[in-house]
Amino acid sequence: MLSRVANLIYWTARYLERGENTLRLIDVNAQLVLDLESHDDFTDPRAWEPLVYVNGNEEKFFELHGKPVTEQAVVEYLLFDPRNSSSLLSCVASARENARCVRDQISSEMWEVINTFYLHLKTHDYQTYAQTGSTEYIADLKLRTQQIYAVAESMMPRNEGWWFYLLGRYLERADNVSRIIDVKYYMILPDRHHVGSALDVIQWGSVLRSCSGFEAFRRTQRGQLKLENVLNYLIRDHEFPRSILASVNAMDNCLTKICDSKSGELYAPAVRELKILQTHLEQSDVTKIVAEGLHEYLDDIQTRVFIVHRATMEAFVNYDPAQAQIA
Amino acid sequence: MPNFFHDYDLGGLYDEMFAAPGEPRPHYRRLWERYQDMSGFGELLTRQKGANQTFINRGVTFTVYSDKAGTEKIFPFDLVPRIISATEWTRMEAGLTQRMMALDLFLKDIYSEQRILKEGIIPRALVESCAHFRPELVGVQLPRQRHVHINGTDLIRDADGTYRVLEDNLRTPSGVSYVLENRQIMKRVFPNLLRNYHVRPVSGYTSDLLDLLNWLAPAGVESPTVVLLTPGVYNSAYYEHAFLARQMGIEIVEGSDLVVQDHKVFMKRTGGLTRVHVIYRRLDDDFLDPTVFRRDSLLGVPGLFEAYRRGNVALTNPVGTGIADDKAVYYYVPQMIKFYLGEDSLLPNVETYLTSNASERSFVLENLPKLVVKSVNEAGGYGMLIGPHATKKQLKEFADKIVANPRNFIAQPTLAFSRCPTICGREMEGRHVDLRPYILNGESVKIMPGGLTRVALKKGSLVVNSSQGGGSKDTWVLADDGDAPDTAPPIKPEKLSV
Repeated sequence: MLSRVANLIYWTARYLERGENTLRLIDVNAQLVLDLESHDDFTDPRAWEPLVYVNGNEEKFFELHGKPVTEQAVVEYLLFDPRNSSSLLSCVASARENARCVRDQISSEMWEVINTFYLHLKTHDYQTYAQTGSTEYIADLKLRTQQIYAVAESMMPRNEGWWFYLLGRYLERADNVSRIIDVKYYMILPDRHHVGSALDVIQWGSVLRSCSGFEAFRRTQRGQLKLENVLNYLIRDHEFPRSILASVNAMDNCLTKICDSKSGELYAPAVRELKILQTHLEQSDVTKIVAEGLHEYLDDIQTRVFIVHRATMEAFVNYDPAQAQIA
Repeated sequence: MPNFFHDYDLGGLYDEMFAAPGEPRPHYRRLWERYQDMSGFGELLTRQKGANQTFINRGVTFTVYSDKAGTEKIFPFDLVPRIISATEWTRMEAGLTQRMMALDLFLKDIYSEQRILKEGIIPRALVESCAHFRPELVGVQLPRQRHVHINGTDLIRDADGTYRVLEDNLRTPSGVSYVLENRQIMKRVFPNLLRNYHVRPVSGYTSDLLDLLNWLAPAGVESPTVVLLTPGVYNSAYYEHAFLARQMGIEIVEGSDLVVQDHKVFMKRTGGLTRVHVIYRRLDDDFLDPTVFRRDSLLGVPGLFEAYRRGNVALTNPVGTGIADDKAVYYYVPQMIKFYLGEDSLLPNVETYLTSNASERSFVLENLPKLVVKSVNEAGGYGMLIGPHATKKQLKEFADKIVANPRNFIAQPTLAFSRCPTICGREMEGRHVDLRPYILNGESVKIMPGGLTRVALKKGSLVVNSSQGGGSKDTWVLADDGDAPDTAPPIKPEKLSV
């Protein structure tokens, strides 16, 4: 497969996954806000503020919208604003641009479903969201992203492109889940609430829900919604498909499949970096993480994910032709 | 029984469908009858709407450079087909084949012996001043000795129905994907009509093209690697590039995917480099290789021309074909046919005046309001003046341009070229159409039956280009004319004194 094509497929998947996670985040926050008990909490501008930090684009947000942070500003910024490169619209637009270049590789059906989603989304704004109602609106969009995955699943040829597609998707997921967990870091507990209070539990529940992990967590962990339990589940669970470790294990599978058909040693650094990340996650101790700083730990995970990304690109896409072998 | 043509106005022009009001030509009769079976015009509009939606969903779009509002548009498709009888087509095919052969010989001659210049048939200065003349190519042996592989010749029909060549497109003619897509849509919308009509299929085109590309591979290569080189996704014809690559099962590559090592071309893949033998390039000569042509080109491949010159890679179309796109060179095609083939041209040109020729220039300047003036190197309907529709200011501007640079223009009479019924709002109206057949020059000359019919959708407009409000129609070439009498006007060979 052409290096450029592999790269485009990989990024198509990354953008789609990123867009989906943005949706999940808004969904959960909208529900969380409704769960807040008092009117004071409900109108607290800080209720929407954590979302602004998720993708690290907060400077742009405050430049455009300032404070206090409103639901409208956050929803507009995260879903519909083309000036935010991580907004759902930007993600779908980028996925579409990439998919257009490789439609012959990913099947016309796949391109069509992304294209139709983009054309649909482009006509929407905050009013559409507000009038439909947050829950219903987001549910519809989530369904549409799931539809794209379903079409990919049934239409994409199982060649190298498929493995680059999955690699991109899982890598993006590992990154995004670490950011979603980090949101809790920014959810400031109002003074009269404390760690372990009803609100704290509700907030952890919402983090789980945004990863569609609430029920699964309850079933497998039988535990309380305590910080350590939830963290352990979202970071290190082997079975839950949106945990960071499960995503990294899935990446490992993809990378193995990609390397299977190749000779030479160009890809060795990528394999090595991925193994390092895997081992790091396996050996992480949640109690220690909390004691030493969750935010810093998550930041470090994002850096490690990026290192795997960079090594992968250097192995298959950005290599120096003079060093490459002739197949 | 609905009659969609009750108020249809022939406008005193040659109409593709009607010989006279209410009197369809024999090869259109079944279509006319089919329309009468419909419940009403609404049925046709519903089908049209369905067809449009299909194009949008399939992303069959092109890009308009200057339009900021929406860079991406569908090429409007009109559901009324343009039908060509078997007899008409046979004659046209002969004319196009003849023209292709002469153009190939002309290009070969220009880049080797230059007999046609030495014998003074075409002025040397004219050819050497062509923007697309490539002195770098003189003396280079091209694969299979072919100097042009694909031509999209634009034809129009004049007031008495004679097909005439308006221009040749020997660089990278586009539009063939619309021909293939349009047919797919028509099969969906009118399956029975197509079957009953014995319409010749167009789907063999991509196989013929792939055969041609494989045939051009350097000698001794058993299973050549063929790729399509595109300027990229923002090119107006990108959709077509991807479509053709997909249909042929070849890689679509950008310049950055290719590298040259040891004067051989490779593509950069995830597992290393793979040798490339044939490149169907949809990129003009200028951008091919920044070390030889335009230095600022980021689209091309450094070293590609040298690999080509050494015969390690084939390019389609070959380098240097652009001289025959020059509209001043077009003027001489009938002479080329005479010179190389010893024949009179079967398909006449449109009457043309060379402004570089002093006597013709003064005629053009005196009659500017009646003429169409074209820049010799522009395509897509750009850089032209339509005298009858121009303001005084525009006429003056063009007159000045002609005087300043007479070599850069040609003029032609404003042609009343033929019209075809077209869905306009809630009724049928006549709109001007042209025809671009696609001619392949491989082991033998192969022409896809029909080609792209473009239609000027604006009332009265003569500009059919997609970038300027044109649309397209499916073009039906009939396998046989049945009992229908031959009503096609005979092709009148053009007598020349050379």
